[in-house]
Amino acid sequence: MAGEVIYEVKNVSKRYGSVVALDGASLKLHAGEVIGLVGDNGAGKSTLVKVLSGAHKPDGGQIFLDGAERSWDSPRDALEAGIETLYQDSGLAPHLTVSQNVFLGRERVKKGILGWFGFLAKKDMEHEAHRNLEEVGIAVPASNRSVSQLSGGQRQAVAIGRSVAWARKVIILDEPTNHLGARQAGEVLQIIKAAKKKGLGVIFISHTLPHVLEVTDRIVVLRLGRIVKDAPTSEFDGDTLVGTITGTIQTIKVEGD
Amino acid sequence: MTDSNQLVAKVRGLVSNQASILLGVLAVLTIVFTALEPKFFSIATANNILTDWGSVVLIAVGQTFVVISGGIDLSVGAIIGLSGVVSAYFMANILGKTSATPADQAYGPLLLGALVSVAVGAFVGLINAVLINKARIVPFIATLATMGAALGLSVIFSSGMPISGPNDFNLIGALDYNWNPFSVAVIIVALVVAVTGLFLHKSRFGLYTYAIGSNAFAARAAGINVERHITKIYVLSGALSGLAGIYVYMRLGSGSPSSGTGRELDAIAAVVIGGASLMGGIGRMWGTVLGTLILFTVQSGLIMIGVAPDWKKVVVAILIAAAVAAQTLQNKNGRR
Amino acid sequence: MKRSVRAFAGLGALAAVALLATGCSSSANTAATTDKKLNIAFVMGAESDPFFQAMKVGAEEEAKAQGVNLIWQGDPKNYSPETQIPIVDTVLAGKPDGLVLIPTDPTALQASADKAIAQGIAVANVDTHVNDLSKIVTFITGDNKDGGAKAADALAAKIGYKDGSKYQVVVGLTSATATTNVARLEGFKAQVAAKYPGIEIKDVAYSESNPEKAATNVNNWLTKYPNLNGIFAIDGTNASGAASALEAKKLTGKVALVGYDAYPDNVAKVKSGIFTALIAQVPAEEARQAIKALVEYIKTGKTSIAHEVVIPNFTIDANTTDADLAKYTYVAN
Ligand SMILES: Nc1ncnc2c1ncn2[C@@H]1O[C@H](COP(=O)(O)OP(=O)(O)OP(=O)(O)O)[C@@H](O)[C@H]1O
Ligand SMILES: [Mg+2]
Repeated sequence: MAGEVIYEVKNVSKRYGSVVALDGASLKLHAGEVIGLVGDNGAGKSTLVKVLSGAHKPDGGQIFLDGAERSWDSPRDALEAGIETLYQDSGLAPHLTVSQNVFLGRERVKKGILGWFGFLAKKDMEHEAHRNLEEVGIAVPASNRSVSQLSGGQRQAVAIGRSVAWARKVIILDEPTNHLGARQAGEVLQIIKAAKKKGLGVIFISHTLPHVLEVTDRIVVLRLGRIVKDAPTSEFDGDTLVGTITGTIQTIKVEGD
Repeated sequence: MTDSNQLVAKVRGLVSNQASILLGVLAVLTIVFTALEPKFFSIATANNILTDWGSVVLIAVGQTFVVISGGIDLSVGAIIGLSGVVSAYFMANILGKTSATPADQAYGPLLLGALVSVAVGAFVGLINAVLINKARIVPFIATLATMGAALGLSVIFSSGMPISGPNDFNLIGALDYNWNPFSVAVIIVALVVAVTGLFLHKSRFGLYTYAIGSNAFAARAAGINVERHITKIYVLSGALSGLAGIYVYMRLGSGSPSSGTGRELDAIAAVVIGGASLMGGIGRMWGTVLGTLILFTVQSGLIMIGVAPDWKKVVVAILIAAAVAAQTLQNKNGRR
Repeated sequence: MKRSVRAFAGLGALAAVALLATGCSSSANTAATTDKKLNIAFVMGAESDPFFQAMKVGAEEEAKAQGVNLIWQGDPKNYSPETQIPIVDTVLAGKPDGLVLIPTDPTALQASADKAIAQGIAVANVDTHVNDLSKIVTFITGDNKDGGAKAADALAAKIGYKDGSKYQVVVGLTSATATTNVARLEGFKAQVAAKYPGIEIKDVAYSESNPEKAATNVNNWLTKYPNLNGIFAIDGTNASGAASALEAKKLTGKVALVGYDAYPDNVAKVKSGIFTALIAQVPAEEARQAIKALVEYIKTGKTSIAHEVVIPNFTIDANTTDADLAKYTYVAN
């Protein structure tokens, strides 16, 4: 059911000083596929996300997009290639408004000479931000409100909405259901399913295992920076997933296709 | 009932609006000083205040961008001295115009001098940016270092003495001491401030400045080249300080290494009184403009009523404390 | 952009080499006992002050004439004991034969002077002095009180002082504590009280070493005292600021302005009538005499120069001869 491999990393490693956060991880993501990335705290999930999104340069390994090898010098490169990322915490600028956050880095400018000087089409962006978020299926607060005035859940909703609205190939969601109530978490799962239907590849990170089991096609388990299991979601149930994560169930590395 | 409710809401809206608080402070200061010294309420005083405002508001505007981006620029005062000295040297020794040059032949040299002055300031700003971005030195230390270097260079350049050059003092004097307190120089400064204000609040340049100060990680993740933008901000602050340098030159008719001494603190005080947060992400151009005006209203008022100048520091300290307290309160109420 | 980092590293390396070089030269000098070229250290107040720049010229001339090495040191900007004491310590570590010290504080620098004397280094004071002058070879200073009195005379002459009339003047200072400011103001007040009782000193204000702030003070005074007769600008900074404020308000010549310090810039403005008069000090002469005294003392154990020398100030006005102008205008190298 999944399409072509769109995004792939081979053997990537990353260390912070003496801490080995990622140790030779490889991963393939297909169009229209949702991968669940799970592991204990500190397993290296966010680090892998940052490598995938261009926020960190890996110490070693390769990155392929649509079969071509790429290297990201900054998040901008990955964004321009169609890869959107929702970072765990700290993804929004709290002093900016909802629409400013949604459009950050992709502002729309006024027509003519003013636009040449970078003057912003504020009203346009406010309307469009509102529409985009609505389309994604998020109960949006007013576009011109400052993000610092929003509740944690509302902020998360804006951040997710922004990623989904802009993604063209890949969406990476690092713990998107954090801070969310049960109903809003349910909405996020719906959003993931909708993105999958549009043919996007999704990487979904969560500690809420029932959510992972519900929406993913495949589950990748990280432990101490290594991928210890990569198998179709149908091979797991709650208990085996927990066992794999904690290491009480012995694993052998599985090739992911 | 509803009428009075509406009124209350309106008043509340006004009070939460930084600009109207600052205008209120300004009004109260004016009333108090006028009561103590009636001559305070005059066109001449307005001219005195505006003349002082002209130099410091320029560096305060640059400082506003820097502070909103989460940084600080301590080199602005020293740049006033250095750029003034270098441009005076340029006009006097390279263009060969002196203070004896007739005023009507001073405009061309002054314009070239202004370009030199702005270039010197922008260059120091660039060095600040390199120290911050490439050498990874925190802005406080980086700009403290360039402050010392700029000061030292200006002393070496001038042997510590003022260098005089061509000038037209009419440009800095009031257009009409009876009716119009503005001078040509102050009008030019006001235009520069207005344009930079538009860029801060309406353009991508300003948006990125807020975004970086608010959350640098998020800004980078959104694809903003944070280092490049920081560079632009410090170069802007330096260039505006250079403009202030030629303004002070025009005011004094000479460039002097000490002509910016202590001004960095005035600029930071003005920005903070204007409601900006030294933590970044918060600040308005109107706040800075009014904050600077308040600073010099206090200064003029205290001189006029004959109070020891040390009181200026006390009054300014109280204003800063009040501004910061107001900010903390607003944050508590979730308003920013 | 990597390049710029390297450039900075390069600069740093250069600075380090320069430091080493100066360190070496001083140690080399102390080691070379046979050839006996004396090292005279000169620690002044603040490099950025034109007064000290002019003093440096005199010091260098005299050092050359006497055939001694001059080690010129001081904080680039701050006239304060906090910055000066470590500088003196560093200089003493180089073991000079003599030290000319301009103590930025009479009490705070006493220990530094004592330390030098204990090491057998001959010490002279210029401009200001440490509390205990007994072991100091000589103390040479300009007469600031006399300068203040001369300023009062010049102002009174310009405003056409007549007994029985009332006159208003103001005084622009740098700070309430600068010792030279205090002495000049004292001299000014004493002379006004003695000879010009009709002159009222309405106000004083401080420029904090910034000429623009000096201009601000004068601006506000001109508004507050529309009939102001005269301004005494007590140092070079205040002189620059006051002159420009009068020019902008088109009041030059209408309000008498007596300034201090003969910056070339201000001397030119005496001729054009912006300054009524300038009181000039003789910093170069002070430095010359101090170095001369030290060299004599080191070589012979005594000196022909008196233990305390007061060099009077000089009034520059429109009638000053070109020869005197050349003599008293501060020059820098
Ligand atoms: N910026 C950093 N500097 C140093 N060490 C870091 C940094 N970021 C992460 N680490 C370390 O790298 C390892 C992996 O961290 P990472 O954030 O990728 O874990 P995670 O799987 O996302 O955990 P969580 O579920 O808690 O979010 C941890 O040991 C962590 O302490
Ligand atoms: Mg994480």
